[in-house]
Amino acid sequence: MFYLTQMLGTPVVDAAGETIGEISDIAIATGEVFPRVTSLAFLGPDKKPFMLSWRKFVEEIDEDRVRLNVPATDIRFSYLQPDEVLLHRDLLNKQIVDTQGMKVVRVNDLKLSESRNQLRLLGAEVGLRGILRGLHPVLERAVARLTRLVGRELAENLIAWNYMDLLDRDLSHVQLSVTHKRLHELHPADMADVLEQLSPSQRARVFEHLDNPAAALAVAALEDEFQADVIDDLGSQRASDILEMMDPDDAADIIGDLPYDKAEKLLRLMGVNEAAAVRALLGYREKTAGGIMTPEVTTVTEEMTVQEVIEHLREEAAENESIYYIFVVDDQARLTGVISLRDLVISEPRTPVADIVSRDVITVNPDDDQEYVAETMSKYDLLALPVVDETSTLLGIVTVDDALEVMEEESAEDLALATGSDRRFEAQDAWSWLGRKSGWLTVWLVLGVGAVWLLSAFEETFVSLIAAAFFMPLIIRLAEEISSHSLAVMIDQGSLEDRPSLGRRLVVDTLVGIGLGAVSGLIAFGMLELLGEPLRAAVTIALAVGGAVLVTAMAGALVPYVALREDGSGWRAPSALFSAGLAVVGLAVYLGLTALLDAALPA
Amino acid sequence: MTTKRTRRIGLFAVLSVVGPGVIAASAGNDSGGISTYSVAGARYGYQMLWMMLVMTPAFVIIQEMAGRMGAVTGKGFSALIRERFGLRPTFVAMLLLLASAAATTVAEFAGVAAAMEMFGVSRYLSVPIAAAVVWLLVVRGSYRNVEKVLLALSSVFVAYIVSAFLAKPDWLEVGRALVVPSITPTAGFVALAIGLTGTTIAPWMQFLVQSNIVDKGTSASEWKLARWDVIAGALAANLVAMFIIITTATVLHPAGVQITDAAQAASALAPLAGEYATVLFAIGLLAASVLSAAVLPLTSAYATCEAFGWEAGIDRDWSEAPVFNGLYTAVIVLAAAVIMLPGLDLIAIMLLSQVVNGMMLPFLLIFMMRIINDRRIMGSHVNGALHNIFAWGTIVVAIALTTVLMGMTALGLA
Repeated sequence: MFYLTQMLGTPVVDAAGETIGEISDIAIATGEVFPRVTSLAFLGPDKKPFMLSWRKFVEEIDEDRVRLNVPATDIRFSYLQPDEVLLHRDLLNKQIVDTQGMKVVRVNDLKLSESRNQLRLLGAEVGLRGILRGLHPVLERAVARLTRLVGRELAENLIAWNYMDLLDRDLSHVQLSVTHKRLHELHPADMADVLEQLSPSQRARVFEHLDNPAAALAVAALEDEFQADVIDDLGSQRASDILEMMDPDDAADIIGDLPYDKAEKLLRLMGVNEAAAVRALLGYREKTAGGIMTPEVTTVTEEMTVQEVIEHLREEAAENESIYYIFVVDDQARLTGVISLRDLVISEPRTPVADIVSRDVITVNPDDDQEYVAETMSKYDLLALPVVDETSTLLGIVTVDDALEVMEEESAEDLALATGSDRRFEAQDAWSWLGRKSGWLTVWLVLGVGAVWLLSAFEETFVSLIAAAFFMPLIIRLAEEISSHSLAVMIDQGSLEDRPSLGRRLVVDTLVGIGLGAVSGLIAFGMLELLGEPLRAAVTIALAVGGAVLVTAMAGALVPYVALREDGSGWRAPSALFSAGLAVVGLAVYLGLTALLDAALPA
Repeated sequence: MTTKRTRRIGLFAVLSVVGPGVIAASAGNDSGGISTYSVAGARYGYQMLWMMLVMTPAFVIIQEMAGRMGAVTGKGFSALIRERFGLRPTFVAMLLLLASAAATTVAEFAGVAAAMEMFGVSRYLSVPIAAAVVWLLVVRGSYRNVEKVLLALSSVFVAYIVSAFLAKPDWLEVGRALVVPSITPTAGFVALAIGLTGTTIAPWMQFLVQSNIVDKGTSASEWKLARWDVIAGALAANLVAMFIIITTATVLHPAGVQITDAAQAASALAPLAGEYATVLFAIGLLAASVLSAAVLPLTSAYATCEAFGWEAGIDRDWSEAPVFNGLYTAVIVLAAAVIMLPGLDLIAIMLLSQVVNGMMLPFLLIFMMRIINDRRIMGSHVNGALHNIFAWGTIVVAIALTTVLMGMTALGLA
């Protein structure tokens, strides 16, 4: 096994045993899955760069040196070929795309292996292990031993050459092996995942290599927030060409996010029909049937025969998104019925449409919520759902792919809310479980130290009011309870639109807090009196308990707003952190109030 | 005809790219900056003004270089360091950056503590709350909205310009001090000079301005216009800085005020705001501190992750980007924890952090000089002679100052 970081700087020795320089780079042939090393680059005296053929001149290589098979005078130097890639210059420390893991990563080292006197590249090391080795091999060994102690392996994270795409070097003119997967050969959805990890300029470079249909697919698959940026960065002509190729509903989403001037410019560059379709869609609100529908619908009239419908489909409707249902309209474009592709296929060619049409059509209005649309489609097992206005004029259809997307969005929201995390935990061994938990133990420990700190600030109060300490665990427990209750309520209420406003929640929770505070204050007072505390101490502590409970309840109303993402898709940080935060708030208020009241009340 | 069209497009384009540079430079006039400038004026009068005049072109040029690297390569500073120098130097550079950012974040929380103590709020209350607020601002993603409010609030320091005129300094004296170099050969003076360099040309600011340019997708051809934003921001920041020195030198120096707490620094605004000087100063200090306390941990976490290829971004959660989230959380928590140490001298902490910045600066600048003069990376956009002279001059002076300070300390002259 050889690692590039270890090989760089190794002496190059000729057949006579003379050191003639040190390794500066290694070139590989790009056509294979595990590419052969083809050339050796080294720095001679005075840092003069040389290059020679590995196959012709390298006798053997070990950890300490590279030995050549001829004396220095007999070497014939060569030049870098266009299809060669230099491991140090083009790969080491560079960002590459891992086209198998769909990730953008940085190369920390390159692993090579020797077999039958042939050195081959095994892959690029992109994990922590490569970083450690690059810093110092001793460090790598030490950490590897440490992780073995806790029963884990410091794994190598290798990416094979055929799953690499280089970002800085253009490989489009290089002959690659058939199995070599480049970024633009990925499925558009996978390519979009990678594109989102790139910087704007890198993204622009990838788009330069894509043809318009591929670019349209990739843009459509990007997350909303990237789509407008990407289109904005492309030249206007290219951007409008790409938008034209996209489904009008997707194009409208993007254009709606662009600045007005740019949007107008692109619409004017687009074809008349495409632009009109997009403009019509721009009028509808997001997350409604109108917002997700496509106006490209295959329509026929009742007078046509089955034969005519099939011909119509072939001629005009071929490029429409969905042709599984054919919608029947009257002369005013009002929806009167639907026929399925199945009906068409099994009917005689001369049958009039009126004979096979089904008049019982499920429809939605453009203002209906997208979740309702998706539920309707799932309930009736529809592949497309027509959207009509109040006069039953057919405006467009929502296709099943858009409905699936809606369902995914909504269920991700619900799942994230219910489980308190974006990912389901995978099965894990005890060590990583302990690691996770000890992380939290540390947080609690820090909070504990913080609490002691808080306490020390109120030292004087506590000497006189020892009883106040009894109620600290109560406040902490209550804060946790309030935090989880507050989140549970939030999940119950379902979609974002249904949630009450912050103001309303504050009012409700304040009222609840007053009730809770009064009750817990009274209980505290009763207990303290029973324990024989002086009246003044009992009043002070009871008031402080009541006040702290009230404030904690009010703060609890804020937790979901702080903890959950705006789009409701999950948590911003581990949920325990928020209940811990609430506990700190509660404690601080409790201690502060005790001290204040102790100072304010007459002795 | 053609010239007219270019001008029109030009103006529009300038307006559309305004932002990153101004924000980066304003974040530079943070609590550390304000305290350092105030102390410089109060202790040494106008004596240090000439340094500001020398440092202004250096600052402008260095900020311009950082922005240019971003526009030409489309990559952040730390990514360039990694690709040009490899793993080990990158590790050192990231340690320097993290040290500089952490020290400055400590100063920001010192600023919060000092500002709130002027309102009578204990630092044991204000600092944890500020830390929580800053952390939430970032994870909640509402930071971009709040940024503008904080920027507006921290611009109250423009009040120093008015205050300087109202204080009626001897302008002839000011002018003379501005152009005639003068030094006091004491360790305190040298340390403050390093701090002045460190706060004016803070190392993390180059990372910030470059990553802002990269995120905006500014290309090399757009850079001709975009750089004016960076240059204007740098000039404005240094103008305010100079007026802080002039004001404190006029108001506090003759009275022999040494500035040991924030209230004394605030009193320099008295000619303008009278009894409200404290309030004005406290609000500005608080806003500037919170703004920078959010920006700094973010900048350093971004840069570090970029260098080592870890996932980063405020829209990524803990499971997606553990190192990124861990780093900025750690910087915020540690910095706030330092301020919680009992009996800390806040002004001294703010000054010290800037001295740390000043000591780190030359080493990061050396990386920058090697990259920006590398034709394989920058193509035709490598530095001109003027850029090289000022930048190398800054490096040499900064290293010399640190060496002198260390020598003086070793010889017991401190």
